[in-house]
Amino acid sequence: MENQIGKATDRIDGILKVTGKATYATDYPARNLAYAVIFKSTIAAGKISAINSAELQKMPGVITVITHENAPKLNVKGGLRGGALLQGPEILFYGQHIGIVVAETFEQATHAAKMAKVTYEKTDGKTDFEALIPTATTPKGREMADFIRGDSNASAPVKFEATYHTPIEHHHPMEPHSTVAVWEGDTVTLYNGSQVINGAQTSAAGVLGLKPEQVRIISPYIGGGFGSKGGQWANLALAAVAAKMANRPVKLALTRQQMFNSVGLRQQNFQKISLGAQADGTLISLLHETTTHTAINDEYIEGCGEGAKVMYQTPNLKVAYKVVPMNLILPTYTRGPGHSTGSFALESAMDELAHQLNMDPIALRLKNIPDKDPSSGKPFSSRATVKCLTEGAKLFGWDKRQQQPGQLKINNEWVGYGVACATYPARQRPSSASIKLTLANNEVRAVVSIAASDLGTGTFTILTQTAADGLGLPLANVTVNLGDSALPAAAGSVGSVGAASFANAVNDACEQITNELVTKSGKQFFVRPTAAQLMQSEQLSSYEAKADAKAPEAAANYSSHSFNANFCEIRVDAATGMARVARFLAVTGAGKILNPKTARSQIIGGNTWGIGMALTEESLIDPRWGNFATRSFADYHVPVNKDVGQMEARFIKEEDNFVNKMGIKGIGEVGITGVAAAIANAVFNATGKRIRSLPITPDKLLI
Amino acid sequence: MRPFKFTTTNSVASASTLALQNKQAKFLAGGTNLIDLMKEDVEHPDELIDISQLSPGIKMQAGGLWLGASAKNTETANHPLVRQHFPLLSQAILAGASAQIRNMASNGGNLLQRTRCTYFYDVAMPCNKREPGSGCGALDGINRMHAIFGWSNQCVAVYPSDMAVALLALNAKIHTDKRTIAIADFHRLPGEHPEIENLLQPGEVITGIELPNNAFAAHSAYVKVRDRHSYAFALVSVAAGLQLQGTLANFKAAAELALKDARPLKHNAFKIELGKRTIVAALEQALNA
Amino acid sequence: MDKDLTPLTDEEKRLFGDLMPDELEEIIQTGLNRRHFMKLIGLASAGLLAGHLLGAERAFARGVALGEIDELPAIAIENGVNVSFKVNANPTQVMVDSRMTLLDTLRERLGLTGSKKGCDHGQCGACTVIVDGQRVLSCLTLAATCQNKNILTIEGLAKGNELNPMQEAFLKHDGFQCGFCTPGQICSAVALMKEAKEGQLSYASRNVRKTAAPIILSDDEIAERMSGNICRCGAYANIVAAIKDAQTGQSVEPNWEYIA
Repeated sequence: MENQIGKATDRIDGILKVTGKATYATDYPARNLAYAVIFKSTIAAGKISAINSAELQKMPGVITVITHENAPKLNVKGGLRGGALLQGPEILFYGQHIGIVVAETFEQATHAAKMAKVTYEKTDGKTDFEALIPTATTPKGREMADFIRGDSNASAPVKFEATYHTPIEHHHPMEPHSTVAVWEGDTVTLYNGSQVINGAQTSAAGVLGLKPEQVRIISPYIGGGFGSKGGQWANLALAAVAAKMANRPVKLALTRQQMFNSVGLRQQNFQKISLGAQADGTLISLLHETTTHTAINDEYIEGCGEGAKVMYQTPNLKVAYKVVPMNLILPTYTRGPGHSTGSFALESAMDELAHQLNMDPIALRLKNIPDKDPSSGKPFSSRATVKCLTEGAKLFGWDKRQQQPGQLKINNEWVGYGVACATYPARQRPSSASIKLTLANNEVRAVVSIAASDLGTGTFTILTQTAADGLGLPLANVTVNLGDSALPAAAGSVGSVGAASFANAVNDACEQITNELVTKSGKQFFVRPTAAQLMQSEQLSSYEAKADAKAPEAAANYSSHSFNANFCEIRVDAATGMARVARFLAVTGAGKILNPKTARSQIIGGNTWGIGMALTEESLIDPRWGNFATRSFADYHVPVNKDVGQMEARFIKEEDNFVNKMGIKGIGEVGITGVAAAIANAVFNATGKRIRSLPITPDKLLI
Repeated sequence: MRPFKFTTTNSVASASTLALQNKQAKFLAGGTNLIDLMKEDVEHPDELIDISQLSPGIKMQAGGLWLGASAKNTETANHPLVRQHFPLLSQAILAGASAQIRNMASNGGNLLQRTRCTYFYDVAMPCNKREPGSGCGALDGINRMHAIFGWSNQCVAVYPSDMAVALLALNAKIHTDKRTIAIADFHRLPGEHPEIENLLQPGEVITGIELPNNAFAAHSAYVKVRDRHSYAFALVSVAAGLQLQGTLANFKAAAELALKDARPLKHNAFKIELGKRTIVAALEQALNA
Repeated sequence: MDKDLTPLTDEEKRLFGDLMPDELEEIIQTGLNRRHFMKLIGLASAGLLAGHLLGAERAFARGVALGEIDELPAIAIENGVNVSFKVNANPTQVMVDSRMTLLDTLRERLGLTGSKKGCDHGQCGACTVIVDGQRVLSCLTLAATCQNKNILTIEGLAKGNELNPMQEAFLKHDGFQCGFCTPGQICSAVALMKEAKEGQLSYASRNVRKTAAPIILSDDEIAERMSGNICRCGAYANIVAAIKDAQTGQSVEPNWEYIA
């Protein structure tokens, strides 16, 4: 039987998605459903004096109105992010949840929620980031402490320094966070898009004061998450609370407007990069200092400087962070945390240095490739940066690039090429999987169960392929159950650990069940039979086994990351300054590629996010009040179809025997790293204008 | 949305009468702007009078083309007479919104669409247009997308219709059930009363738009500059029609003249230079069309 | 199925009788709620189509049985409008709150949850359905304005076991990832084929003045015309490839080979 792993198999869940049959959280048809709508604060700091709950309660169709005055006591440290659990009158950020209306219909709940009248005792809030920057301090988190090697101020013949700016960005998955909550006695089922099934279970239980076994998370399909459905937020518990207090199953969906300040965001960053080098481009020093903001009472910082620790060989390095607490919602993991924005700064700076040295940008990178992880001294388990750059350059036609900027104009558009390379860590996290084999009508079938998640990442498909190979079955004979906390516990689809964690668990379970069947047969084999063959030869009607998988111990001796190189051809309208990505090539070394079709989709998806970061996305807060001036999908510009040109994604053949058994390194996020820089570098090559503040909108390119 | 009575009617005259009987009622055609505003609670009529079928049709008449107020934007942009004789209007309509919205939106409704200023939309924000006397959130706020012409200290919002820019270039006339109004006069500048946006009186119904014959058809262009390549409102947009041959020097002079009275706000000064360049680009495209 | 549900009215029996006479009797005998009929049609198709049963379906078997959507209490409908239209060729009659959008009517009252609510303000396209042959946003369409209209949703595109060519194309080219925007994308793309056949223009079209004639859409044209459907997973390149394939049969498969 030929191997399924490595084939460009169509998605197993595809047919349900193209027929509208895939069920997301709010598609669940509970009986006797009531609708809950949240309303939010319109001040950034202070406290609530009064809410007109009694009036709202009298409105048509309203079943119950919940505020801090009557909400049950919840455990605010139970694991949900961002607070806003209606536990008191204090307001910590503009748009904090302050009440829920539950009504017979969505229309009635929405109307009543809009009629909420709140009086506040307003205090001055910290809402102006730029004004607050002088007060920024080193973060509390240990992993954010200054990382110093040598002296980043060391003298060098060539020096370069600049500060790069990225604005607030939002995840904005197409499916707003939503939950259908159904109580049965003292247990609750939550149909809720969850990247980390067991995490959602324990955090919901923790906040609600329940044991995890009393909460069931069901999430077979998720309409995108990108990190915002990794940790869960108050809306999950509030849906359960609403259902309990209304004594009805409840559907609670955040509105798109509410998505701006309910489920975290990517914070605004100023990143200072200083480079010291020899005239031949050899780096002597690298400083990467990030200044950013966090919530007023909780800290989350994306590690913008983490790439600087592993990308380049340099004797002197300093990576540092400074943070300002503000009356804004807590930032959170947003696709490629740290590396996506960090690579914009680092790879733009490297490009600027190359220009200063009159060196080809690729040659500059190649001059500084470390042979070991410079931050830890550990060998890389595998690293394809060099091949990504050199092979990608060939495929892209890099030799056609003009070394001097602003030289090439075609059809009234300035044309330029840019390159950047970046990285994202690879990890395997503990996950368990069980397999049940059955034999009936002479056919062996397998059901694989694991509390994994698929948010378009392709989990259903790659696990089906993995099990098919591991058991010796055709794809059609394998069914994968996932997205349910009742299944064997697993890691989440976060931090690009999904494929490595889930597939290894399934693979281990395949090995486990095959081993057990071999033992059970009592026979010796010259060639090890498959589990399917054993079921047949032993005529077993059913057999089950389970495996608990975790990263091999030896993996800790290596530094494991996926690496890439990105190439962009940009065309800038000479009159209007509108920049379009004509061509984009991403070359990635990510170890074993389980399914090139879904892998390519992940990469071009990440590239598209990078196009948004570089050219269209920016969320603005009015510093006077702390509200989002960008408050709808019309204001916040995620890329549309026309923003994307010809996209190509290729992989380096890479066997990594150290990172985990199957050699999988993860691709969910590496696709966004180094993209904004490749685009900004291409814009410089096209126009001679170096833009250090994203997004690169037409007004910044009036040349 | 707040509760409302849904009323159907079969003539412009009765629609007008119904509106006069209930000052809280609003006309509903395509709904692409009104329903959005009602969901935001910016508009909250207690009655919607459906006029979506009352003024259909696009036809040639003496002196020009008649566009029914109920005719949809898509139908209008693709109508052979519009494509042939007023291609500028086609291009402008097609630059706006998305195919789905253009399929729903009526010509009359497009004219009456309201600003997308986020302070107008957010009922928690000060906005003299939405709530006279409450202040203007954008004047000293985030105003990158706001006006460089005609603003007052009461209101700096822009009017976002692409179609209307072309209609202005084409000297269109707006017909209501009471009178005819030149498009240049139809919309009002904010002045002291930004809440009054156009000349329509209570109960007055737009019935159609008249496009006088012109000589621009052979040389016209609509150029829209925006922050992403589609489905976004304009930073600047230009409708250009050429009747005489122009040179680059004339084009630049025309652009300077067009922008001479521009007054920037804190965050939108770039629009002046961008506007000049876009005008030149549009005229060049029109010349080469 | 529960037996204590409202029986069909005479008019409904007549309407439904045209469609599926055999099942009608069964429906009448069991007293099945009229809305369950719609869900049944949908589920029957799912049973045929989803040959590969995903285990997750079983999770939904727990607790609530699919297809049992309750009637609303009278208090839940304000300014009620009685509206009749066809959904996927099935005559439908429903009493709606005047505020109820077509999207919420489909999803909450008719059990057709294929169309999605991405923004509810006409800014993302996830709710796109086809009304009287044109693609529109169901979130900005009041159900009350749909009297006598023909509505086609994602659930109505496949014919029993046979997928619509556009659905096939999306599967082949992986024109989706999370799948949430997909029903809207596909409905939009299906309507786009008709627009192209009629020679309709877009902002990307050259030569506006020439007479309308069927258009073979370039990649650029497809991208512009599909820009009203946002995909945050970034499947755009594959969506364009799918639509190109559906219209022209031209299919360029990406190079799956390792580059080195």
